[in-house]
Amino acid sequence: MKHFLLGFCLLFSTVIFAQEKYSIRGTIKDFSNGETLLGATIFLKGTSIGAVTNEYGFFSLTAPKGNYTVIISFIGYESITQEIQLDTDQTLNFQLKESATSLNEVVIVAEESEQVSIKKPQMSVSKLNAGTIKQMPAVLGEVDVIKSIQMLPGVTNNGEGSAGFNVRGGAVDQNLVLLDEAIIYNTSHFFGFFSVFNADAIKDIKLYKGDIPAKFGGRVSSVLDVRQKDGNNKNFNINGGIGLISSRLAVEGPIVKDKGSFLIAGRTSYAHLIMKGIDELKDDKISFYDLNLKTNYEINKNNRVYLSGYFGRDVFNISKILKNSYGNTTANLRWNHIYNDRLFSNLSLIYSKYDYQIILDFIELDWIADIKNYNIKYDFKYYLSDKVKLDFGASGISYKLNPGEVRPTSESSPINYLKLDQKRAFEGGLYVSAEHQITDKLTAQYGLRYSTFSRLGGQNMTNYINNQPVVYNSQLAIYERGEVESETSFGKSESIKNYDNFEPRLGLSYQLNEASSIKASYTKSTQYLHLLSNTSSVTPLDVWTPSGKYIKPQRSTQYAIGYYKNFNDKAYALEVETYFKTIDNRIDYIDGSDLIGNNTIETEILNGEARAYGLEVLLRKNEGKFTGWLAYTLSKSEQRTLGGQAGGPGINNGNWYNTPYDRTHDISLTGIYKLNDKWSLSSNLVFQTGRPVTYPNGQYNYEGFSIATYSNRNEDRLPAYHRLDISATYTPNNKPDKRWKGEWVFGIYNLYNRRNAASITFTQNDQTGLNEATRLSIFGLIPSVTYNFKF
Amino acid sequence: MKTFIKGIVLILAVSFTSCEDVIDLDVPTGQTRLVIEGSLDWEKGTLGNNQTIKLSTSTPYFETANIPVVTGASVKVRNVDTNEEFVFADQNDGTYTISNFVPIIGNTYNLEVIYNNETYTATETLIAVPEFNSITQSIDGGFDDELLEVNVYFDDPADEDNYYLFSFYEPGDLFANVDNFSDEFLNGNEIYNFFEKEDDEDNDQAAFQPGDTVEISCYGISEQFYNFSSIIIEQYYGGGDPFSSTAAEARGNCINETNSDNYAYGYFRVTEVVKASYTFE
Repeated sequence: MKHFLLGFCLLFSTVIFAQEKYSIRGTIKDFSNGETLLGATIFLKGTSIGAVTNEYGFFSLTAPKGNYTVIISFIGYESITQEIQLDTDQTLNFQLKESATSLNEVVIVAEESEQVSIKKPQMSVSKLNAGTIKQMPAVLGEVDVIKSIQMLPGVTNNGEGSAGFNVRGGAVDQNLVLLDEAIIYNTSHFFGFFSVFNADAIKDIKLYKGDIPAKFGGRVSSVLDVRQKDGNNKNFNINGGIGLISSRLAVEGPIVKDKGSFLIAGRTSYAHLIMKGIDELKDDKISFYDLNLKTNYEINKNNRVYLSGYFGRDVFNISKILKNSYGNTTANLRWNHIYNDRLFSNLSLIYSKYDYQIILDFIELDWIADIKNYNIKYDFKYYLSDKVKLDFGASGISYKLNPGEVRPTSESSPINYLKLDQKRAFEGGLYVSAEHQITDKLTAQYGLRYSTFSRLGGQNMTNYINNQPVVYNSQLAIYERGEVESETSFGKSESIKNYDNFEPRLGLSYQLNEASSIKASYTKSTQYLHLLSNTSSVTPLDVWTPSGKYIKPQRSTQYAIGYYKNFNDKAYALEVETYFKTIDNRIDYIDGSDLIGNNTIETEILNGEARAYGLEVLLRKNEGKFTGWLAYTLSKSEQRTLGGQAGGPGINNGNWYNTPYDRTHDISLTGIYKLNDKWSLSSNLVFQTGRPVTYPNGQYNYEGFSIATYSNRNEDRLPAYHRLDISATYTPNNKPDKRWKGEWVFGIYNLYNRRNAASITFTQNDQTGLNEATRLSIFGLIPSVTYNFKF
Repeated sequence: MKTFIKGIVLILAVSFTSCEDVIDLDVPTGQTRLVIEGSLDWEKGTLGNNQTIKLSTSTPYFETANIPVVTGASVKVRNVDTNEEFVFADQNDGTYTISNFVPIIGNTYNLEVIYNNETYTATETLIAVPEFNSITQSIDGGFDDELLEVNVYFDDPADEDNYYLFSFYEPGDLFANVDNFSDEFLNGNEIYNFFEKEDDEDNDQAAFQPGDTVEISCYGISEQFYNFSSIIIEQYYGGGDPFSSTAAEARGNCINETNSDNYAYGYFRVTEVVKASYTFE
């Protein structure tokens, strides 16, 4: 730590004594709707001095006194060139107009601006804007953020109908998913078929697969940073769409012109309305909806406040059998304050909640579980000089987890009331990070995050004989639950267990020439919350659990190196990255583990480790009638779980085994072709090595049944997954002066009707008595049509 | 039971869009092992003197030939509490029988099988089971409120953890329907279990009609057998589906004392079982 601080001081000392300098600060916005632009650039022509706008459209740069030509640009927008005389600190706000040709044209940006991306040390990041996502073919025409990021290298999931996504061989719970800074605990609607993000309410998304900036913490694999639109502060606008599964409507407009705006977006499925008309299904219900809200107000040039929220819910009722509902709720109140020309700050108060409920009518049981957190965050950006920008801040998250409460639903119910222990925890974070242009060619981003975690009392903790919650039974060669010795009661003001970790982050970029660079990064991060899931797919019913006495925080270390090149005058870009990642304290579950309604999860798990490595190639075509990208990933992801304190060899005899999200090859090709003013075509092609599974290696007869025996964990694989999707967008004669603008999107998912195995189950046919392998394939060829409108 | 709750929610969700088909698939072939089906079940109302233990070997997963039976083994059971020994007679068809077994609730029994000069042992305790209070039929209970189901009621003993194995069997079917559960959420209450059949053209199954008979068995089982049977039941009824646990071999309680790597499949259990037959009206 001491050395680190010393290093910081030394690095800064080189830049503090310089000639007379002044700064320019301001915001860059969209001319037509006043949306702040994230990642727009401002450059002083003829120098290497420039800046990129932050999440709130703010920039600040410092340059020696003089006359300059500033160029403000953003992909898809017309650049502005302006002469300035820099002899005093000044505020300059810019509004960029969308370039005429870019209406409907897709922009794919892996980094904000190619000019900068070559230079910026940040690597392993992918950005997609809402426009791109909307152009990609989607199942049943439902535009889906989570599915679209799976077209990027290093991102996969467990197949159709599984929730979440996997980044660089990491688990679903290792992704920090943020919607306007609020944690989203479950990204899926309808058990993973669709995602919770309504593309109409989203400005852009950024996925950090590695080299995670120090301001983010709490997850070990990735950060998916989703930002909602602010709302049009010039005109009222209505956007909407009617699809096969759901309909959307978004209303936005000014509260006070140019000062404040709002956005309300809603989306709802309507299968349940159709079901009402069918006699047999009229009492059943399958639906989801979500509501996005954002409003902001600029109090004065130094202060702006934002309020954003999300509420989403899935309802799944089967008449007289079960009622199931789950969803996320978030709210975020933010205050942007500019202290001076160089110091920008943002204070956020955030609330997130995820809950689910199941009512089983036939056994008269009502089950609820939830996780919620309050988060306070104060982030600063200090534009120290033209060479150094500093990010620093602090955050505190208070968690309350209710892993399960069971109630009888009637007096006659045989169910006893049961409430599992509520769990409380506090996670603190402090960080400082610098982006430092060391020489013309070498830029570094270095920082340190310090995180703390306290598992708080207010519950009893079980103590086990020999401190072994899990014990190896060496005679039977199985892991068993440990024997309870006693219980310790912890008061609400006590902490059960404390952890703290230093998480250094380092990124370097060396520019080889104007069009190419190499980058390297080192990231250490810690994760204190774990999603308990012993199934191959994460489900909405899985519960989160905090680290504590028995479950240790996961710690990851990732090294990555990459090569970046623009060619043909930036029409093409190539990114090649390779990474190696290790994760300590990755839990896995003993055979026959029982996670539902279990108060002592520690008796079901063993602490293990995971490692992943791979090579990712992304080739993009950014310009012209045909745009798109090809992504290829070659990777390996495996884990090992030794017996440790429980004794014995561990899971799978202590050998390394594939994680369920190991994919040797993953190829995605996305192409978008603008045929003419009316038609644009797009297509996805996906090929993936099959998911690791464990197949039976024999059978025996027991009580008249054929019982399967199994070999080593995840040693076999499902058949390879591949499919082709196409879609076409038809825009009828939309005259520029007409307010109503409509478009039709026609799509076919899985064009050649490949029956991809979501799973293969092994069962004994109850008529023939013979064993069978049954393939479950989820989506065959699925046509869709959607109508989108805007006025 | 709990896996079942979760399973039903998720499988119903998937079933709306998915399709299933049987495919040809190559699977690996593991080691051939001895299989011990040592189920000493004492039916309430009987003396429990007649007991059978079956020995066989495992086969490749898709093997359709007859089950290879094991003959020539020595099979003995000893009551650890009374030290009484019961020697099972080889019937030369893979079964080993006895006609003077003495079951005592709460006593611990020890199995010893000697086969191919290797000794396998296992230990279990005889667990009691409550009587059925009543058996009823209904239409509006169960999963489907238009089909007949049978309901079985019994009192779960308070102040102890109980585990049950249930079997519902309609004579004429190839297989019984088996499930197990613990009294975790139900301790000390009157518990009921139900069984309903659905019409299924693919499987030639029909819902219960008046006049149909169903045979019901409920076994009092140990926690260890509950854990073992939970794994095989989950795997049997849906091994490999996306919401099932990662498949792993269910290790029974039979230990090879001579060569621990050459362990046996199967289980040695000693239970009390209550049986009843119900004819729908």
